Amino acid sequence: MELLLKNVSAGYGSEKVLRDIDLSISDGETVFIGGRNGTGKTTLLRVMSGLMEYEGSVTIGGNDISKMKRKSVARLIALMPQASEMYFQYTCFQTVLLGRFARSKNVFGSFTHEDREAAKTAMEICGVYEYRDRLLNELSGGQLQRVLLARTFAQGTPFVLLDEPGSNLDIKYRAELCDYLCKWAQGKTSTPYGELKNTVVAVFHDLGQARSVCGRTVFLKDGKVFADGPSSKVITPECLESVYDFDVAGYIDRQVIIH
Amino acid sequence: MIRERFVKSNMKTGRTAGIGIALSLAVCLFILLAAIRAGSVYISLADLMKIIASHITGSPLPAEVDPMNDSIFWTIRMPRAITAFLVGGVLSVSGAVMQAVLQNPLASSYTLGVSSGASLGAALVLLCGFTVAGLEGIMLPLAGFVMGLLTVTFAILLASRIDRSVSDQTIVLIGMILSLFVTGIMNFMMTFYSDRSKQLWLWMTGSFSARNWNHCAILTVAGIIGLVILMMLSGQLDILTFGELQASSMGVEVKKTKIIAILVCSLLTGVSVAFSGVIGFIDLAAPHIVRRIFGPSHKVVIPMSFVYGGAFMALCDLASRTLLSPREIPVGAVTALVGAPFFAYVFFAKGRRKA
Repeated sequence: MELLLKNVSAGYGSEKVLRDIDLSISDGETVFIGGRNGTGKTTLLRVMSGLMEYEGSVTIGGNDISKMKRKSVARLIALMPQASEMYFQYTCFQTVLLGRFARSKNVFGSFTHEDREAAKTAMEICGVYEYRDRLLNELSGGQLQRVLLARTFAQGTPFVLLDEPGSNLDIKYRAELCDYLCKWAQGKTSTPYGELKNTVVAVFHDLGQARSVCGRTVFLKDGKVFADGPSSKVITPECLESVYDFDVAGYIDRQVIIH
Repeated sequence: MIRERFVKSNMKTGRTAGIGIALSLAVCLFILLAAIRAGSVYISLADLMKIIASHITGSPLPAEVDPMNDSIFWTIRMPRAITAFLVGGVLSVSGAVMQAVLQNPLASSYTLGVSSGASLGAALVLLCGFTVAGLEGIMLPLAGFVMGLLTVTFAILLASRIDRSVSDQTIVLIGMILSLFVTGIMNFMMTFYSDRSKQLWLWMTGSFSARNWNHCAILTVAGIIGLVILMMLSGQLDILTFGELQASSMGVEVKKTKIIAILVCSLLTGVSVAFSGVIGFIDLAAPHIVRRIFGPSHKVVIPMSFVYGGAFMALCDLASRTLLSPREIPVGAVTALVGAPFFAYVFFAKGRRKA
């Protein structure tokens, strides 16, 4: 199955953040979206999951995403946002369980034993099952991020879009997250369209994390695709310098390395 | 803190929540019985049961029960207490849902102008003598209901015209502006009919006196339909509190859910206002109490708001007719006297927690 963006422009108000994006992502790919702050990475993830208005066309498996029911989209694509609004204080387990909403067939939206098991598994993977009864406002930034990650995986979709999933995690959890994403990306997920290979599309600011997880790299610059290709070919000192407007390779070399 | 402990034990066993719900139902039944029995004429529980049984089964009243009591309790007190309970219940449910949909702890069933619209409707009938042939008997509740819903519909249409995504701030602001505008029209009218404004004032402060079983029946039907629809939206409402963007990414049709929820709440509020006038604070306060005890999950908050709001209203109505008996205090004044300090407490307690 293919997630296809053709000639897509999007923005907030009259300001265009993304301009003329053409991008095709097939199931089974692991894609790193990179670029400087404000180049439209988050906007791109939102457009891919049909969460904001855009010009051009976004299709998944040939279906226009803006015309699909939200539940159908949510069974294919899950998006983990950078931050979350939390108006009421739910427990961690309740929060993760809500990720199963799109799969619930009950008219009153009740969750089944299977849903609870899926939520539990996702929480165990993200290392938050021990906090299951804690309220969200009792969590640290990193713990909250892992709860949101667990909710994203509990949604059980083949396409997972992650917006800076490691930004608040300590170094050990970052490493674990990368390992898990690599492992997960090898698997498959059953959907109403049959079994699909798992797909990761992630925004990272840590290039090491990006390299370890993603086989493909898409760099955005000024709202346009600046480079797109295998990570090993795209993440080069020259390309990084043009994308980030400074000597990235030199900066990494100057950083203290512990031997 | 109570709630945190409660939620934790609830998640572990699921039994504590059950005990809490059972206890709440028992207390609520006790309050309802108290509201029926207390007053200038007192009745024993056994006699009350006999009266209820004879009406339900259609069998004649036992000889030992005073027929006077039968008419006092079956035709006056019971429909009055039950109407108060149902009105309190549906107002609280719509308050709870509006607070979630608009992500605003101060939102209530009246935020979108149901009350001001209904009051204008009542003013048209009471002040100007507006009426439709054949409907004279029910003109007051009907005008209140219709004008209340018209105001909300207008608010939603205006909000969606101005802001295509129908954001919460737009809805709340338009609701407020429209409410003030409509209230302005009503005040304007009152200056021309100052001799009849006392009647309007009485209607606006709310009362349950002289309510009959027809009121109960209509409220029960509206309440059941509304509650079932809102319960079907409970998952969506939970997810909506994490923000519209996330709700949409998790499979919620945000705009549709919001509009259905707001319309159902307005309908419930409209029926209540039509039968009892504008009674504030319960719809604001009861959901906050319920969330403190049971946590924020709407599968519990919606039915429990109904129970707590209903019990609170029945209690307030009892106070309104007994405290200064034989004089009756407007029930809206009673709920506000209790509700206002509570409102302040929620507001400042929240500020403390943030600090």
